[in-house]
Amino acid sequence: MLAKKTPAREEAPDGGAGTRRDALGISRLSLAVGTGESEIPLLADVTVRVGRGETVGLVGESGSGKSLTARSALGMLPRGARATGGVTVSGVDVLAAGYRELRDLRRTRVSMIFQDPRASINPVRRIGDYLTEGLRARGVPARGAAEQALDLLGQVGIRDPKGAMGRFPHEFSGGMLQRVVIAGALSTEPELLLADEPTTALDVTTQAEVIGLLKEMQRAHGTGMLFVTHDLDLAAAICDRVYVMYAGRIVEESAGASLFGAPAHPYTRALLEASPSVHGGRAEIKAIRGRPRALAEAPSGCAFRDRCPLAGDECAETVPAHRPHGTSLVACLRPEQVTP
Amino acid sequence: MSTGDAMSTGDAMSTGDAVKAPVLSATSLVKRFGHVTAVDDVSFELMPGASLGIVGESGSGKTTTARILAGLEQPTSGTVTLDGRAVEGHSRRARLRQARRLQMIFQDPYGSFDPRQTIAQSIAEPMRLHAPGSRKEHRARVDELLDQVGLSSRAGQSLPRDLSGGQRQRAAIARALGVAPRVLVLDEAVAALDVSIQAQILTLLDDLRRDTGISYVFVSHDLAVVRYITDTAIVMRHGRIVERGETEQILRSPRHPYTRLLLDSIPSPGWDLDRVARDRRALDLL
Repeated sequence: MLAKKTPAREEAPDGGAGTRRDALGISRLSLAVGTGESEIPLLADVTVRVGRGETVGLVGESGSGKSLTARSALGMLPRGARATGGVTVSGVDVLAAGYRELRDLRRTRVSMIFQDPRASINPVRRIGDYLTEGLRARGVPARGAAEQALDLLGQVGIRDPKGAMGRFPHEFSGGMLQRVVIAGALSTEPELLLADEPTTALDVTTQAEVIGLLKEMQRAHGTGMLFVTHDLDLAAAICDRVYVMYAGRIVEESAGASLFGAPAHPYTRALLEASPSVHGGRAEIKAIRGRPRALAEAPSGCAFRDRCPLAGDECAETVPAHRPHGTSLVACLRPEQVTP
Repeated sequence: MSTGDAMSTGDAMSTGDAVKAPVLSATSLVKRFGHVTAVDDVSFELMPGASLGIVGESGSGKTTTARILAGLEQPTSGTVTLDGRAVEGHSRRARLRQARRLQMIFQDPYGSFDPRQTIAQSIAEPMRLHAPGSRKEHRARVDELLDQVGLSSRAGQSLPRDLSGGQRQRAAIARALGVAPRVLVLDEAVAALDVSIQAQILTLLDDLRRDTGISYVFVSHDLAVVRYITDTAIVMRHGRIVERGETEQILRSPRHPYTRLLLDSIPSPGWDLDRVARDRRALDLL
């Protein structure tokens, strides 16, 4: 159990087939836009792995690069961006893939859900069209696609699926429409589901329902999920593993459950201390000075050092390498001072 | 010290109601839009220096209630009493009188700043309207306010678009404080901010209340934030108040099934989604 829970760097790949087993493998991905003097780095050295059927959280504040990282799995890079490193989705090298290959990948193996369901669904087409489109593109005959869509709507808890097929997006509430989008995302039985803040725009009680649904559907279909969120509590509650991002880099990788008890990076701990909670005693919150930074404006060495209470001179020298501490992998020189 | 005072204001009415009068009270507020009742018989009191949370989800009527308090909506029936006088009519004089005592902060302050005015100019504007004084006096007061909310004078010379979300929210607070109001109504004021920035604004609000004795009506869907910033709270659902009391008490032992559902819906280690489903069924039975 110990060995399993420890975030595995390379989980003893059987020969060269190691990456094939993963739904998503991002290794040492760096992204930048612009050239020469005006080059703006966006991501540096990002390594993320999502196993089959695994739920992996990607947590960070604005500008941390969490959405960019998730989008890179679909080959959706900013215009003119240059990427180094590797992005592999169920065996396909995404960075090297051509237009046709990417389209096939998006059609069959990877689905993505965004924060605002209304932005990702065509407002003038019926729900039935939306749901059967992907299936038809895969070659499912019209009648079969309609039956499957009906079945999916039932699975995601839409009352009166038959009626829903003929309705338009504006006739649904945000929570209900997000269910429709989830049904659409899972209709192609993808190996990887990228969920970018899928519940942020929803009410808390609706969020709980949609999360329950996502987890259940994921279990039933064996889908790997990369869950992007700013909500540390949410990530820790539902994810097997969590990556914490700051200024375009991964600063900590931890088992979801142990994130609260034993944060290893000062930034993770600072985030926990800055979040008010409804549990336990009425604790003080500690604000983090300064503001979250993007990679381009981060100081040299450790990007968090100008906001870090533990920072010393050596933190400015180089970007700290990831090293194991407790159940985490952490990019900090002195994690023992964060959680002994 | 003063937090202790604020805590006791909740039950001050029972001991000596002549001593302390509420700075703001809402009595049987009703607001109908067509045949939809957005706010349905809402009453509460806010003591000087106290902080009241209004908790609810979308459609609960919490924002409409806040807008009625700020005079942005006229209630269909019911009254708002501010600083001992009923808020009546919306003549220029009545609106000015109300604005001098009660200011509102919104979720996204970007929409409430003139994009072509510097932050300092925006902060000075309500002052010119409410507080007589020379340009020089106003400028000194603006600097004072910027300092109070932790903004540099350079930020004061910036346009709204050049500031981050957290800085804009600080500027909005500075502008509201400029007229020295008795009450601040904050509608989801920290909801759009990053966690680390949210904590900065929350601690700022806490300090301001301790230092100035201002009262808050804090409208939010986030129970953890409400727990931090308020003493008492009301929980709203479908326009009605379903639970009220001291915030700690409500969170520790919620009496209404809806409050329980809200609490169980908050992700935590060992989050029990089945329990959330059970709570929801219990609510449907009502």
